[in-house]
Amino acid sequence: MSQKKKILLIGIAGGLAQMTARLILTEHPDWEIIGIDSRDVSNVPVLNNLTPINLKYSRGNFENLFRTHHFDVVYHLGRISHSSNEHNVLAKRIDLSVMGTNRILELCERSGVKKVVILSTFHVYGALPDNSIFLKEDAPLRASIRHPELRDVIEMDQICTNWMWKNQNSISTVVLRPCNIIGTQIQNAMTKFLSGPVALSPIDYNPFFQFIHEFDMAHILYRALESLPTGTYNVAGSDFISLRDALNEVGTKGIPFPMVLAGGLNSALKKLNIEVPEYLLDYLKFSCLISNKELEKHLGPKFLRFSIKEALELIKLR
Amino acid sequence: MLKLGESFLLSIEDEIKINQIFAELKEKYKDYKDPWGFNLELCEKTLKKIVPFYRSYFKVRVFGAENVKDQSYIVTSNHTGQLPLDAILITIAFLLDVAPPRVLRAMVERFMAQLPFIGDFAAQTGSILGDRANCAYLIEHGESILVFPEGVRGISKNTPDYYKLRSFSEGFYRIALQKKTPILPVCVIGAEEMFPFVFHSKRLARLLKVPALPLTANLFPLPSPIDIYIGKEIPIPAHLEHEASDKEIKENVFHIENTIKRMLIHGLKHRRPFFDTVRKPISKFVIKEFRNKGDR
Repeated sequence: MSQKKKILLIGIAGGLAQMTARLILTEHPDWEIIGIDSRDVSNVPVLNNLTPINLKYSRGNFENLFRTHHFDVVYHLGRISHSSNEHNVLAKRIDLSVMGTNRILELCERSGVKKVVILSTFHVYGALPDNSIFLKEDAPLRASIRHPELRDVIEMDQICTNWMWKNQNSISTVVLRPCNIIGTQIQNAMTKFLSGPVALSPIDYNPFFQFIHEFDMAHILYRALESLPTGTYNVAGSDFISLRDALNEVGTKGIPFPMVLAGGLNSALKKLNIEVPEYLLDYLKFSCLISNKELEKHLGPKFLRFSIKEALELIKLR
Repeated sequence: MLKLGESFLLSIEDEIKINQIFAELKEKYKDYKDPWGFNLELCEKTLKKIVPFYRSYFKVRVFGAENVKDQSYIVTSNHTGQLPLDAILITIAFLLDVAPPRVLRAMVERFMAQLPFIGDFAAQTGSILGDRANCAYLIEHGESILVFPEGVRGISKNTPDYYKLRSFSEGFYRIALQKKTPILPVCVIGAEEMFPFVFHSKRLARLLKVPALPLTANLFPLPSPIDIYIGKEIPIPAHLEHEASDKEIKENVFHIENTIKRMLIHGLKHRRPFFDTVRKPISKFVIKEFRNKGDR
């Protein structure tokens, strides 16, 4: 039986973090989770041994947290998402995602944390026309070639991986780069895109996608605790689906649209304060498929419960 | 006129043959899902539209089909013409004239992969981005790939350079070594004359950010008769590793280059008289040059 653990879960207001917490506490009811978030935590489900705390992400607050509790495990699921490219927002994102992560890692090192699990994203590779098939974890992180505003995503990933190797003898660190996570409890751009009543359906491109259901992602986050050794892992199933087929599968009405005009349309929408991050438009043009071989080595060939089609079926319940 | 029009309709024999080929291919690929979107239904429809041109317009003849076995190859060809029509014709030849029919996955330029409509259509009809990881993936799945080691330099030649092979790049040979896949040399004769008078403005191409910009007198390819020669497979030396030195790789690549050069000389000698005014001076010029230089 595993030893009792105290876990810090950063980003508890998110659906994925809540599912992960529930999984951990179902398997280990005596473990204790402190869930923090700078967002409102009043909607976090009440679970035995889960303490949600609303906390401003500042150096002082984190230092206080690490002084008060002795954490064995830290889950960092608190990356700021890309809602806008405005300069001030970008600066805030860099401060929170990059500088904030750096501070958390420093505190982990100082306070004797044994395991750190970090949620990065496959967006670090970028949707580029010359992407190879099934990018491995050692592929260059090229997202910022076309979109410099993605700098923080790549920097955060690189800070974590550098820190991971530096401290590999004392702390086991796992950096996960999942493909598109979809589900009814998650609020990301891809889930919103697919589950809306209508969606742009490119007529001039038809890229391929990998999707993972939020439950499977939570399960992998949980298994990262004991089944994954230090390293970076892409997270995706072996299956893939084209955008048009995905829209058909979900039943979302696709509005045929030439992506060559998407940039112009987005600029026009920006004036109305409706903006889709430009880097996401690239994902509607070019594929970015990732290899899951490294994860498969440790979790076995069938580590996902839901196939792509099932995952897409399930977001219809939204 | 009616006869001319009829010759560009799909013959009943070809329709039956294509139906049989695709029934066989659909069975073969029933469990394979392609991450680039290779679409057999679209290929079948497109082939039925193109085959009349293959037969009656370009009057394609295929030699050496018996050299193709039912296995994976890296099919290596000279690159001619100003548009990659030679790739389309070779692909059709491997479907129609080779038994059992083989789908060739042609490598395309990075530039093409990002074009709206064209990139998607090329992917659905079997083309993929020319990238080592992509080639390796396909070979692991039993596919054959079509490479033009001259790259874009092969199709961006000015008229006086027709049928002069550009030096081959070596990447394809490293993949062949890594995957222990034999090379199948192929030579295409006749595609250069589809656009007989060409000028390439490198400066303009750079300005427009395109890999090549041929300026031709005719926008539509002329009906130059095409001969496709399929050579005997060139095995991969067992002792050579894919991380071998450039020198060792180059020796083998030169051998492939020379094999295709010899096939070119043979093909130019035996080609059909169709465009005499263009063909003769070019053929004489090329043969004379090869004789003078001799094989490397």
